[in-house]
Amino acid sequence: MRTLPVADPGTPDHRSPGRFLWWLARQQLPTLAGGMAFGIVWMSCQAVMPAVLGRAIDRGVADKDQQQLLFWAGVMLLIGLLQAVTGIMRHRFAVTNWLTASYRIVQLTTRQSVRLGGSLPRKVSTGEVIAIGTTDLSHIGNVMDVTARFAGAIVSFLLVSAILLSTSVQLGLVVLIGVPLLLLLMGPLLKPLQSRSATERQMRSDLSNTGTDIVSGLRVLRGIGGEGVFLDRYRRESQATRTAAVNVAKLQSVLDALQVFLPGVFVVLVVWLGARSAVTGDISAGELVAFYGYSAFLMLPLRTATEFANKLIRGRVAASRVCRVLALEPDVVEPTSPASPPAPASELYDARSGLRVRPGLLTAVVSDQPDDSALLADRLGLCAAEQDDEVSLGGIPLTSLRHADIRERIMVSDTGAALFAGRLADRIDERGNGDVEKALFTASAEDILEGLPDGLDSVVTEKGRSFSGGQRQRLVLARALAADPEILVLVEPTSAVDAHTEARVAARLRAHRDGRTTVVTTVSPLLLDAVDEVAFMVDGRVVAVGTHAELLADVTAYRRVVVRDVEAVL
Amino acid sequence: MSVTTRLPITDGKAVRRYVGQVAHRHPRLLWTALGLHVLAALTALAAPRLLGGLVESVENGTTRSHVDEIVMWLALFLVLQSVLTRYARYRSQVMGELVLAELREDFVANTLALPVGIVEAAGSGDLLTRTGSDIDQLGWSVRWALPEWTIAVVSAILTFAAALSVGWWVFLPCLLAMPPLVVGLRWYLARAKDGYLAETASYSQITTTLSETVEGSRTVEALGLGAKRVELCDDDCAKSFEAEKYTLHLRTVFFPSMELSYLLPVVGTLLFGGWLYTRGEVSLAEVTTATLYVQMLIDPVDRIVSILDELQLGAASLARLLGVAQVPDDREVSGRTPSSEKLDADDVRFSYVEGRDVLHGIDLDVGVGERIAMVGPSGAGKSTLGRLLAGIHPPRTGAVTVGDVGLVELPLGDLRGHVALVTQEHHVFVGTLRENVVLARPGSSDDAVRDALGAVDALEWVDLLPAGLDTVVGSGGRAVTAAQAQQIALARLVLADPHTLVLDEATSLIDPRAARHLERSLAAVLEGRTVIAIAHRLFSAHDADRVAVVEDGLIAEFGSHDDLVAAGGSYAALWESWHGKG
Repeated sequence: MRTLPVADPGTPDHRSPGRFLWWLARQQLPTLAGGMAFGIVWMSCQAVMPAVLGRAIDRGVADKDQQQLLFWAGVMLLIGLLQAVTGIMRHRFAVTNWLTASYRIVQLTTRQSVRLGGSLPRKVSTGEVIAIGTTDLSHIGNVMDVTARFAGAIVSFLLVSAILLSTSVQLGLVVLIGVPLLLLLMGPLLKPLQSRSATERQMRSDLSNTGTDIVSGLRVLRGIGGEGVFLDRYRRESQATRTAAVNVAKLQSVLDALQVFLPGVFVVLVVWLGARSAVTGDISAGELVAFYGYSAFLMLPLRTATEFANKLIRGRVAASRVCRVLALEPDVVEPTSPASPPAPASELYDARSGLRVRPGLLTAVVSDQPDDSALLADRLGLCAAEQDDEVSLGGIPLTSLRHADIRERIMVSDTGAALFAGRLADRIDERGNGDVEKALFTASAEDILEGLPDGLDSVVTEKGRSFSGGQRQRLVLARALAADPEILVLVEPTSAVDAHTEARVAARLRAHRDGRTTVVTTVSPLLLDAVDEVAFMVDGRVVAVGTHAELLADVTAYRRVVVRDVEAVL
Repeated sequence: MSVTTRLPITDGKAVRRYVGQVAHRHPRLLWTALGLHVLAALTALAAPRLLGGLVESVENGTTRSHVDEIVMWLALFLVLQSVLTRYARYRSQVMGELVLAELREDFVANTLALPVGIVEAAGSGDLLTRTGSDIDQLGWSVRWALPEWTIAVVSAILTFAAALSVGWWVFLPCLLAMPPLVVGLRWYLARAKDGYLAETASYSQITTTLSETVEGSRTVEALGLGAKRVELCDDDCAKSFEAEKYTLHLRTVFFPSMELSYLLPVVGTLLFGGWLYTRGEVSLAEVTTATLYVQMLIDPVDRIVSILDELQLGAASLARLLGVAQVPDDREVSGRTPSSEKLDADDVRFSYVEGRDVLHGIDLDVGVGERIAMVGPSGAGKSTLGRLLAGIHPPRTGAVTVGDVGLVELPLGDLRGHVALVTQEHHVFVGTLRENVVLARPGSSDDAVRDALGAVDALEWVDLLPAGLDTVVGSGGRAVTAAQAQQIALARLVLADPHTLVLDEATSLIDPRAARHLERSLAAVLEGRTVIAIAHRLFSAHDADRVAVVEDGLIAEFGSHDDLVAAGGSYAALWESWHGKG
């Protein structure tokens, strides 16, 4: 068994779902072929079993020949063992096929998400991409899985048909025509069932969402009441779901019964024709038993064929979703001939707003419109949707620099920054060379650490959900500080923390970034009071630059934005 | 607060008792379903017997009309079996859905009654898993695995009985199945559950990492974490592969041993029967029928075996769902009624983890209609104190009382009539905007809802919504901003109208410039109500009657804004700095 996942998932052909599935299949051709080979032997063993049983009854039992009986029983045992061995080998190959395809899809999706970076949420809903990992991959994996059994189904069907035809043309034709006919008969029955069960599945998932909604809002309910309202609602939805499920059961049970009835009719027909031939001596008693066995066996290839068709349809739908994501291109285009990076401690300048970020200083940006500051921060780090040449580092436009160089030197940490799961120390020190303790101290996050049972070794849960909003914000700040980039742009880094903590962060930030370039967008007086320089923007243009105290004293508009309400009272 | 304790899980005995109770609750449905399954299985047994007879008569020479007659019987039993199968399946589905609905509704009812402290200690993740995947798993078990398993057991028993009815000798070859069956099954079941749980966990890890990478794609780019995320994804896949390899190994041993246990009896019956036939002790029909019956046993036995681990998982989910009902209530209703609206805290101490108090003896005497602001560094215990004042947690020692009655002595419904709490948590429920506001006071008029929304400055944006109060919000509905969500939370509070309100940073996500206006208009509506506000911004403290500075689980400073500024303590220093004169 080969080791999975593969180191490099390759470059997919995402021009169409069919091509994509074919490309996937080509990547794992040897295991697919192996699965098919074992699948064919495995199902063929089952197909010939009735013939062996028939011979044993004819030549061993009916003729009272103990030698023959032992011989045929031995053959049966051997074929049975072969079936067991090929069966498990087929299963192993099928699982490998499923896994190879699934892992490859996860790998491709992850690599594509990383390639798209900040462009991803602008181009596709994140839920759609995540759904690839939760549902689409298993649909595509199923297609790879079922191939082994499908190959066996086709070969064993042909095998049984050949055996029957050689015994009785009439019976052979009944099977050759009857089985595909049954397949066609079952098809239309599935349609209404599928739509009813789709409704029921939807209701069930809605009900599950209602449950999740209640649990997520439990604390809110506890504060103010309303549990009864929600319990009533859940009960109503639960009962409606039950009714829908019973409606499905009405149809499903008919289908279950038909799965007994239709093949049964087929068995009865074959036995009837066989017995009539037996009466005239055309076939033996043992062959009659074998016919019964064949007709019962044929349901297996029949069901497998149906399963293959269903899985292929679903697989194609899933593949089209994967293709859509894989075909996306990032907004940010690498320059064809990148400029050589400017010297360290170069000035960052934005021509559009007129903002000059002086190297080595802590600069605050105050804007009358919060959105303006966020957009400016994005542009300073080349993370905005549209690319322009107006932001430059040391006189060179960011768009003509290699992206890796920009990411290395300029880091933007915004309010939407995500905290990832893992060991806390690793999640703070993402680049692996930062001073975690110092960063946590500056972000005034010591109390978070104290509250954790294992300190820096504690595990951060998915998206940092175990922390409160304010705690997460301080940890994200610590992470940005630990990365220690040449230029750090912080967007509202203390908006969710209380005044005491904010005051502490403000007091420690400048010392921490001493000698490095830092930009902070904020309107908090506590923070503004602690920076080297404040740039005040109105309508997206810098209109005044100075210290907090100077601007407070000289610029009325600035005063209004920063301490407007207090001024109104005092 | 971060120390996690898990919610309880019921033991196997209690699970079995519960299953017994459920069975007794619907005796008619249960027995009809079971009876129908028995009949369906019985009709299925006709075919081998008829075929055996047919073989015998063919061997001895027979007529076409005899063949036709036997085939007629074959067809008749087929029709009977099909009809019975239909009703048996339907009845058991109805029963399954009924039980499932009862179970999930009980679970949600129990969840809604959980003490909040327990939920927080366990983390909402545990409860969300139970609400989501455990209900799904159990649904699958009840809807599919349990009926299939029951049917398989019924038909295995009946088929075996039918085989024995052919002759006692059939018992002997069937014994051949036992060693590989018993040994294989014991070996497999002892390992399967953990193996499959590890496998499932490895899949959720893949999903978790992927969704973090996708949702945090901006951060991934900004921090240059691309290579790391790719490595993490490949690691997750490798771990999942390890888990898969283990369960595949389990099956590689188990499946062939099962196949062997199915094969041996068939070959054995044929050999033994053939030998008995040569001795003239049994007929050809009996040998054929017996062999076909033993072959027929394979399918139900295989289903019994392969569904077992599914049932194991279902039972584990059931144990987790029932576990929620075992959480002891942390409230003791005494039946006493408060004599006034006055809120008091007396020497209150509290700890989340034993031996680590976060509040060290707090006394707080709140005047009726007074507005108190609490400020202090994070981790000082403000939120904890707020929750104690709202009766969410019982204090470890000391008492929080309203009109001399302890808050935790009041039934939950009554408590909310006295004190309500709104935190910065901004969960918006799935439903219309109206439903979101009236949840504490069902049946309120639209005017009352609009007044409440108006009191929190929310009418501006509410009136812009195309469907107004009927707009569906919450997950999947129209997105509202965090600030709007906080306004909705406050509107609920206005409508609930208790005499005392605890606000824990309830406006923290609203733009500072808008927040102050909101707080003022709220104050006008809440005139005469007692308000305890944990303040995030200093202007809230400035506007309050008295300010309590909480530091290290104690009230360090307490007095009016002006007094505290004049006193020159830590509050004064903070105010100076904030106000830009430091």
